[in-house]
Amino acid sequence: MSEISTEPLVMPIANEADIVAARQRGRTMAIELGFAGCDGTLIATAISEVARNILLYAQRGEIILCCVELGGRRGLSIEARDSGPGIPDLRKALTDGYSTSRGLGLGLPGSRRLMDEFAIESEVGRGTNVTMTKWVR
Amino acid sequence: MSSPQRPVAPHSYGSQRPPAAVPIGPVGAIGVDEMQLTDEEVARRMSWLEITADDIANLTSIRDVARGYAAEVIEDLYRHFLAFDETRAFFRDEQTLRRVKAMQTEYFLRLTEGNYDREYVRDRLKIGAIHQRIGLDVKWYLGAYNFYLRAVGSRLMRAFQDDPERGRACYFSLKKLVFFDIGLAIEIYLTTIRRQEEAIRELSTPVLQLRAGLLILPIIGVIDPTRARQLTEQLLRSIRANRAKVVVMDITGVPSVDSRVANHLVQTVEAARLMGATVIITGLSAEVAQALVLVGIDLNRIRTVGDLQGGIEEAERSLGYRVSRVEA
Ligand SMILES: Nc1ncnc2c1ncn2[C@@H]1O[C@H](COP(=O)(O)OP(=O)(O)O)[C@@H](O)[C@H]1O
Ligand SMILES: [Mg+2]
Repeated sequence: MSEISTEPLVMPIANEADIVAARQRGRTMAIELGFAGCDGTLIATAISEVARNILLYAQRGEIILCCVELGGRRGLSIEARDSGPGIPDLRKALTDGYSTSRGLGLGLPGSRRLMDEFAIESEVGRGTNVTMTKWVR
Repeated sequence: MSSPQRPVAPHSYGSQRPPAAVPIGPVGAIGVDEMQLTDEEVARRMSWLEITADDIANLTSIRDVARGYAAEVIEDLYRHFLAFDETRAFFRDEQTLRRVKAMQTEYFLRLTEGNYDREYVRDRLKIGAIHQRIGLDVKWYLGAYNFYLRAVGSRLMRAFQDDPERGRACYFSLKKLVFFDIGLAIEIYLTTIRRQEEAIRELSTPVLQLRAGLLILPIIGVIDPTRARQLTEQLLRSIRANRAKVVVMDITGVPSVDSRVANHLVQTVEAARLMGATVIITGLSAEVAQALVLVGIDLNRIRTVGDLQGGIEEAERSLGYRVSRVEA
């Protein structure tokens, strides 16, 4: 379990500009936390992916950015949550190339590779919740 | 509220085309149909405003009272409009004024007619769009609602002198409906502005011919599916018109490159290839490229060069310009 060390920052996602804002905010927070620039970009990319999924599949939702600390290590945790249609088969959704929107199907599996920790919960008709963390190296 | 500039036959909004007399911006036509409010969305908004069957019954119950005060309220409202330069400017002559008053009356009476359905919403959106288009700022638009509520409120109280409780209830129901309408008006204003921004963005992506056979396409801003389609179409048109062989597409100004954006880019590149042109992408930073590879994008399918200058040099080489330079 990670101990929250700052107030979480909630960013609504309802349009393209919100994605850009969340992405940029995530990158700035990462750099402030001590991440290297390239890791900041990986984090920003993961935020883009999950935020875009919110916009695409659930129309709206939010991204919550939060600095975390565990055993002296600092990290950035990102939660993407929506009350959209949910995902019927998580195993499939996490497979490279699986897409219900004729996309590349790389957003979820790709974000998992970009981050250190990745968890997803979803319930059909209730929504989706992706939580991921990256630790400062 | 109704348009100050154009006569509209009662109940004909649904089929109305943008009127010629109204100045229409060069870009970004109204998005009433694009807003596509479903029955569920209408119901959802109603429940957010706590509009219940009781409210609708209240509203229809004051139909006759409303008919009684409509003319007076309209006169008050237009006196108010004419007292301010910013709003007076919309009523150039007596005829316009008369026409608009008639429409306004129609709207006021419509408020107590019941049936606040999808058609009702459509009418509100249409009228809101017209106000946006003629350039009436939202503050005047909303201010007029305030005036209306105030003017109607006091008259309702007077009409229900013997049953103030009932008067208040009806007033609150009317206020809910007015807020419902205000919400729609604001939304159509915002949607229209967004459309205009999109259209401006489209216009602001130039395809430049640097030399025979070589095009440059600097992309600035967000690439969403609509924009990607516009870009591709524009690029293909330019390739055809200029018989281009190489295109340098600079994405330095694209703020969030992720798998979906990369997919759009790859598709644009492939469409250009089908037309016989090679695309070189510049401005993709090494960091972003690394992230994309980690996500799983096959960047081998696109030619990338660090910066625009390098991209142009590579393009020139592939067009055979290097040969002429070496010989010179
Ligand atoms: N927030 C979400 N709500 C509902 N479905 C989702 C959500 N995120 C992802 N999905 C589903 O998982 C699939 C895979 O997502 P992703 O890996 O991002 O690929 P893509 O978006 O390219 O299809 C999507 O096609 C969609 O069916
Ligand atoms: Mg995706």
